[in-house]
Amino acid sequence: MSGNPPPDQVLALEDLSITVHDGAATAVRGVSLTVSTSEIVGMVGESGSGKTLACRAALGVLPAGCAVESGTISFGGKDVTGLSRRGWERLHGTEVGAVFQDPSSYLNPNLTVGSQLAEVLRVKRGMSRREAHSKTVELFATVGLHGPGRVFHQIPAELSGGMLQRVMIAIAISCDPQLVIADEATTALDVTIQAEIIELLKSLRDQRGLAVLFVSHDLALIRELCDRVVVFYAGEAVESGPVEEIIERPRHPYTQALLQVASVGDFQRRELQVIPGAPPPVGADITGCRFAARCPAVIDACRTAPVAFTRLAPGHQSRCLRANDPELAAVTETAMAAR
Amino acid sequence: MTAPTTSPSAGPLNAAKPLLAVEDIDVVLGRGWRANHVLSQVDLKIWPGEIVGLVGETGSGKTTLARTIVGLVKPRGGRVSFDGNEISGLRGGARRRERRSGHVQLVFQDPLRSLDPDLTVAEIVGEGLKIRGGLSGAEIEQRSVRALQQVGLDAGLLGRTPGQISGGQRQRVSIARALATDPQLLLCDEPVSALDASNRNYILRLLSDLRDSLGLPIVIISHDLSSLAGIADRVVVLYRGRIVEDGPVGEVFSAPRHPYTALLMASAPSVRHDRPLSVHQLRRTTADPAAPSGEAACVFAARCPFAIDACAQQPPLEPVAPGWTAACLRHEEWPALAGERSAASASRS
Repeated sequence: MSGNPPPDQVLALEDLSITVHDGAATAVRGVSLTVSTSEIVGMVGESGSGKTLACRAALGVLPAGCAVESGTISFGGKDVTGLSRRGWERLHGTEVGAVFQDPSSYLNPNLTVGSQLAEVLRVKRGMSRREAHSKTVELFATVGLHGPGRVFHQIPAELSGGMLQRVMIAIAISCDPQLVIADEATTALDVTIQAEIIELLKSLRDQRGLAVLFVSHDLALIRELCDRVVVFYAGEAVESGPVEEIIERPRHPYTQALLQVASVGDFQRRELQVIPGAPPPVGADITGCRFAARCPAVIDACRTAPVAFTRLAPGHQSRCLRANDPELAAVTETAMAAR
Repeated sequence: MTAPTTSPSAGPLNAAKPLLAVEDIDVVLGRGWRANHVLSQVDLKIWPGEIVGLVGETGSGKTTLARTIVGLVKPRGGRVSFDGNEISGLRGGARRRERRSGHVQLVFQDPLRSLDPDLTVAEIVGEGLKIRGGLSGAEIEQRSVRALQQVGLDAGLLGRTPGQISGGQRQRVSIARALATDPQLLLCDEPVSALDASNRNYILRLLSDLRDSLGLPIVIISHDLSSLAGIADRVVVLYRGRIVEDGPVGEVFSAPRHPYTALLMASAPSVRHDRPLSVHQLRRTTADPAAPSGEAACVFAARCPFAIDACAQQPPLEPVAPGWTAACLRHEEWPALAGERSAASASRS
């Protein structure tokens, strides 16, 4: 519908819907988001909210039984929605790299980590054995691995989780993609290592203009890393905007609730909050707002018709009828504290 | 249940004797060139009615310590006493009787893998009682239902298998399984690491309520410090098999005395940017003088920006305030030194 995309736009999902169970249920409904050069965009939501599925669609690696129902995926303005498997393979590495939660399950345990990265360089970039070796060592140094020459000859079992995740990041950026998609990439790591990986992603953004789509269930982590955030609930984007804005002035009750349960680093004793209820099952047929059943600020109008994703301020959108109600935040907070 | 539980935070100061005493435990796993010193000189006391948070990173020995306490790992040296009786030296039938009594219960990490996928919730929760014996089937079921109620689950789940319930519910089933035998001490190994923030808070609140209603002392192993701050009375920090700091949670988290505790705190993500120290003030950089190394050196020296020559000898855990110990030679000096360091990123050593 729009004309030409902005020149620095790397990834654009437009009104994307994804079905699961061979079309029996819709797990992602009309999600739109963009990621631009040098931008880190976060996706946050509970497990089952559709954030991972949206990511996998953007990588062209949807699991069996899942399919893009409608909407488009484009890289740098080029529509890649219906691309063949071969077509996606050409994009992998060169346009988009990926980092997942469990690095050891993506590496061959029998081969040295260096040879696995060098193989990528030789296949994708046509490098000679020697070129690939020196480029690999250089990339290992870029991602902060100590003694990259020695790490080259180690197998995955000899490296710690944090080092393996650095190797995965090195592989993801090896063919100079403009975008890296990181799905719960730090969830399995210790907090000290997690902090280092977060810094690494930031420095890659600063030095290479890398764009990152970072998926996490932890709003605190999103706050540490991202410029913008999209909040997912039950397959829909319910709020999106600049991170500072969303944290300071959330305009959707679900975001407000997420904020109440998120970690606070001042280590004060405070009542631990819980979001009451459970999300609806995947593909549930709900006429009105999908959060209405758990929402403390629900009104009758919420249940009668779908709620539009409304623009509140430049770059800030919310899918809530009461988004402009000044009382909204207070209602959510009181309701959660009262439990 | 037996000892005073009125004011949990008063903990060690007014209870007569600890419920669990781990004294000078050394654990070595593997032998020969594979031998790995997993725990060194660990001393830990758990007092009735308190919640203790055990923190540290992967490989610090948190899980091994829990497994040693319940007798799944045999220590090379030291002793574990429960309620005044040594349990680490028990063998054969005595060992089995102690285990079957269910006095100490361990809730394992990752309920999806620790719960048998083929058993129903009823079978999982009632199994401990069945093994202990002496109860009829009806009594076992009645106590299973009660255990499920204690964790806020409906008896309707009894016929389901672990694969048919949600992650948060599975973790609650693990806790119900542990509660069924009326334990006097609950050890929870990373009970919340697989859960999202809301479910995490739910489980932690549940544990806190169980402590309040049953007077049950609980040890929570976690690497998430901010959630422990919400419920623990005491925090114990492990680094490479040694306790480096042990003290009341409020005091430790407002002014940690070991640089590693401070590093853990600074690394924890937060929705607010209000940390006293940044990670860069607590990490070694290339500019720092070489740290002492060697077998006898302080375990943290290689990562510590404040290490001096005297750190070539591992300092013992010494009192820094009443009920608070730390194993750092420079526990009085380093906080000021950290404040003088640059808060911005520098090259790593």
